[in-house]
Amino acid sequence: MPFLQRTLPLIIAFVAGALGIITFYVPDMEAFETESATWYRVIFAFSMVLGIHSLLNMHWARIRRQEAGWGFSAVTWIGFGLMLLFALYNNGSGPFAPLDLKRGGMVWMYDHIQVPAGSTMFSLLAFFIASAAYRTFRARTVEAAILLVAAVIVMLGRVPIGAFISEALPTMSQWLMTTPNMAARRGILIGVSLGAVATALRIIFGIERSYLGEESD
Amino acid sequence: MDRLLNIDRRYIFIAVFVGVVLPLLIGFDLPIKPTKNVRAMYDTIEGLNPDDGDTVFISFDFGPSTITEMEPMARALLRHCFRRGIRVIGVTLIAEGVGIAQNLLDDTAAEFGSQYGRDYVFLGFKAGNEVLILNMGQDLPGTFPTDIKGNALESLAVTRDIKSLRDMDYVIDIASGYPGVDEWIQFGQERYRFPFAAGCTAVMAPDFFPFLQAEQMNGLMAGLGGGAEYETLIGRPDKAVAGMRPQSVGHLVIIMFILFGNVAYFAGKKNRS
Repeated sequence: MPFLQRTLPLIIAFVAGALGIITFYVPDMEAFETESATWYRVIFAFSMVLGIHSLLNMHWARIRRQEAGWGFSAVTWIGFGLMLLFALYNNGSGPFAPLDLKRGGMVWMYDHIQVPAGSTMFSLLAFFIASAAYRTFRARTVEAAILLVAAVIVMLGRVPIGAFISEALPTMSQWLMTTPNMAARRGILIGVSLGAVATALRIIFGIERSYLGEESD
Repeated sequence: MDRLLNIDRRYIFIAVFVGVVLPLLIGFDLPIKPTKNVRAMYDTIEGLNPDDGDTVFISFDFGPSTITEMEPMARALLRHCFRRGIRVIGVTLIAEGVGIAQNLLDDTAAEFGSQYGRDYVFLGFKAGNEVLILNMGQDLPGTFPTDIKGNALESLAVTRDIKSLRDMDYVIDIASGYPGVDEWIQFGQERYRFPFAAGCTAVMAPDFFPFLQAEQMNGLMAGLGGGAEYETLIGRPDKAVAGMRPQSVGHLVIIMFILFGNVAYFAGKKNRS
């Protein structure tokens, strides 16, 4: 059992990781890379099934126990079930015909429920950002004052009213984006990438084993 | 002053609501000046030759939550391509993007009398995120043997001679999250060296300036503002241009609150000391 639980996953992680690096740098292995990428996509598709099962299972448990807010879980189940039924019905063409994206219950639910609900959730951000900015965005220190001034310039410079107020605002906004912002972002990118390389090497060489439920060395 | 600082947040919500709704009811014009990054995308599409069968590949990687911000820029891009007779191949890396992309392509093509298969093709969605990009870069017909309608790619005029992403004259990703612009650069542009640009939400835009400077992408449309700039460039003001009025006033309202909050904070601090 230790071989199946520990050694075999470590071997798979090492072989898959090493091959991933080698195929990236060796042009002759492009056919292998194509094949392994296809495998990945098949595994990814199965993981979506697993994700759906996990989501529905969690909500079913909430409905069964009638936990607080179980009605929302029921909506999840009903929404999923209806979408699935409409997709399988496919406006009368059946599940094996190309999906009809112009008519039918699935399109109606998508256009009249999913799109407005998603847009509403996203648009609520504007109200909460305004409230949070009013309460917390204070020029308490020099750094905070610089951040505040930069934020005001960018907020004005990115919309036409900025140019209406002053022609300099869009130029200043663009400079903030292309110089200090870009330098900071590049630094973060390099740091994150080095961290990702280090973590990947630790997993490939079996130093990092938290994915097996173990402590790392 | 403390009472002002602890104002009921519902008053702030009302102010934002009024700031957004009023400009929608009262029409007024604001000057929209296209930025360098948006103009670069416009110029690239202007530089393509429809007689040579030049093709633009667009990945619609956004869902319903960001449709208000992303749809206008996608529509403006498609209008530009179809008006010029440039072929378009569409795809989406996210399942929720299928309906949006299909409607966008069909509706915009209908405006210009463009025909499916001859002028544009929609490949649809497949699972795989960044690996799908890798696969399309290696073998596009192998990754998508058929389009979303079930037609073999070799049977359609647009895709007949396309072997991989390397054959594309311009690749544009319109994305609002993961998988999106980062993945298209890492697994697509950097590997297969096609001309690349992106459209994204306004909050994502600061992340992509290093890629612009490194010339891994030649253009960037950021948020509704980017869409409005593109609509202005093609001479067809639409939803994005109209959206600039409420967005501008909305920004002003938030800035007013920030400044007012700071004034109240420092005034209160002075009184207390």
